[in-house]
Amino acid sequence: MFHISSQKKYWTFDNEESLEQLRCEANQKYRNKMLASGKPGVSDAVFLEAHEENVLFRHYEKRLLDFCNAFKPVMPKSVVGTAIMYFRRFYLNNSLMEYHPRTIMLICAYLSCKVDEFNVSSTQFVGNLVQESAAGQERALEQILEYELLLIQQLNFHLVVHTPYRPMEGLLIDIKTRYPLLENPESLRKSVDDFLTRVTLTDSGLLFPPSQIAMTAILNSASRAGLSMESYLTECMGLKEDKETLLKMYDAMRRIKSLMKKYELPKPDEVNAYKVKLERVHADFGTNSNMKRKRGYEDDDHVAKEPRMTEEEWTDEDLDDL
Amino acid sequence: MDDQGCPRCKTTKYRNPSLKLMVNVCGHTLCESCVDMLFVRGSGNCVQCDTPLRKSNFRVQLFEDPAVDKEVEIRKKVLKIYNKRDFDFSNLREYNDYLERVEEIVYNLTNNLEVEGTKQIMEAYQRENRDIIQKNKAKLTREQEELEELLLLEQQGNEQRRLETLQEEQRQLQAKRKSKQALLDELERSHVPATILLAQHKDRAAQLETQIEKQKQVVKTTIFSTGIPMGQTVSLLTVNRLEEVLYHYQPIHMHTYGPPVPELEQLGRLGYLNHVRTAQPQDMAGGYNSGLACHRAIQDAFSGLFHPLG
Repeated sequence: MFHISSQKKYWTFDNEESLEQLRCEANQKYRNKMLASGKPGVSDAVFLEAHEENVLFRHYEKRLLDFCNAFKPVMPKSVVGTAIMYFRRFYLNNSLMEYHPRTIMLICAYLSCKVDEFNVSSTQFVGNLVQESAAGQERALEQILEYELLLIQQLNFHLVVHTPYRPMEGLLIDIKTRYPLLENPESLRKSVDDFLTRVTLTDSGLLFPPSQIAMTAILNSASRAGLSMESYLTECMGLKEDKETLLKMYDAMRRIKSLMKKYELPKPDEVNAYKVKLERVHADFGTNSNMKRKRGYEDDDHVAKEPRMTEEEWTDEDLDDL
Repeated sequence: MDDQGCPRCKTTKYRNPSLKLMVNVCGHTLCESCVDMLFVRGSGNCVQCDTPLRKSNFRVQLFEDPAVDKEVEIRKKVLKIYNKRDFDFSNLREYNDYLERVEEIVYNLTNNLEVEGTKQIMEAYQRENRDIIQKNKAKLTREQEELEELLLLEQQGNEQRRLETLQEEQRQLQAKRKSKQALLDELERSHVPATILLAQHKDRAAQLETQIEKQKQVVKTTIFSTGIPMGQTVSLLTVNRLEEVLYHYQPIHMHTYGPPVPELEQLGRLGYLNHVRTAQPQDMAGGYNSGLACHRAIQDAFSGLFHPLG
């Protein structure tokens, strides 16, 4: 349950400023690390700023959402929600420059399938990367398996994510049972679903409990459809006397809605510019662990392995047509 | 089977595992055939230590190590003389001293140390405590007889029970045969239709069975299941009562930060279950019912609704 979950204890923050702070810190930490290492060509201008990282983050997040939606077999919504939450949490404490979002995004989806018991074999999973050849898919799989443990570690091993979908169902059942004033709650379902999909692309999951998000979704859709649901909170939830909690609820809902309004899809030209920068950072300073693994072999005379970097790694364009 | 062969014929023991080993007073082993062989020739000396032997001194070996057998024999003889028991002494220390003396004597005789001296000590003791020895001997024999009597009784009881059950079975078989015969006779003679006769016969058979069952249950109980005979008064030591603080159950109180959730059992009555997909027979077989899914959804919906502060 949410009230005793690790999500409430460790991954629910008070306001957006603290989130921004964490992201800036992650960015700064990476910069300092690179500056201290003293590699050639290191200077402040090469690195991405926090807001630039933000743009790229949103771009890759949308990519992840599209990948999950095009997934075969059909991925349940909770799995998608969990994957996006993992992505968000990971980049709360890490910089995009250190771990390329392209890899992390697939790992998030893979891990979320496992955690949410949506059983997909690894071959089936990489089979969904339709643009790749079989060899490319295998390489992708290798990378996924390599970084999986890192992802789990950066999530602090808190793998259970409470998404707003089940609370939404619960609230609908409750409305149907206890609130006969609203005639047909089912008619709201589609717009509620829409709202919830859009809300996962914001930071709300890290700030509010999923039941509050679900409540916002329902009340919002009701008001959009012109139906009044004000008395639901006061009557059924027993909040008539408890003005303070009622005010807090309204406040939370307002904040969620404002977060949603603030969200905008990243602009393509910005994205491309920053992507170029990111690629360069990864190419120059990225520690490709494949190199490390094969280093042992280079000492043997008869096993001559070329460093993996020279092979063509799968790029963003491969995911384009998903 | 045996670690050594017979010292005389050496080979015969391995070839014939059923051959028994005999032990004599000097502690050396000889197989049965060798013993016979030895006394046929009239000579009565042990092969290894050359002590004069008599045929009666040979006993079947019980232990693997012949030295143990020898000690057992010696101990039996010594304890025939030194047969005092723990209540013959005024305190524990004296009893232990007495036991130690006995052990020393046995040890000396077994390992052939100071045999003469030890024998003299034994004789002296025997002379001094002649009457005590006699009394103890008498007591011992009486106890043994009592034990034997009890064993005999138990055996007799078992025998009787066995016989009784056999007789019972016999009687039952006979009764069944008689009723069958009666049925056949009636089928021959009487004019009543066959089905009614069969029904009557079945009734009678059923009655007979219940009678037999009742008889079995009326077995007299003379002893409790633990073996204590009924009617015997057993004295129990008073058990110390331990007074401790009684445990008070405090139900867990969980703060859900949300409105109260209805109980699982109430869901049907409150009408929640009408809005949940009904469980299919396949689901119900596994123990699932729609209330479980409904309850979980409601719990998730209400949990944390009033966050951050309750």
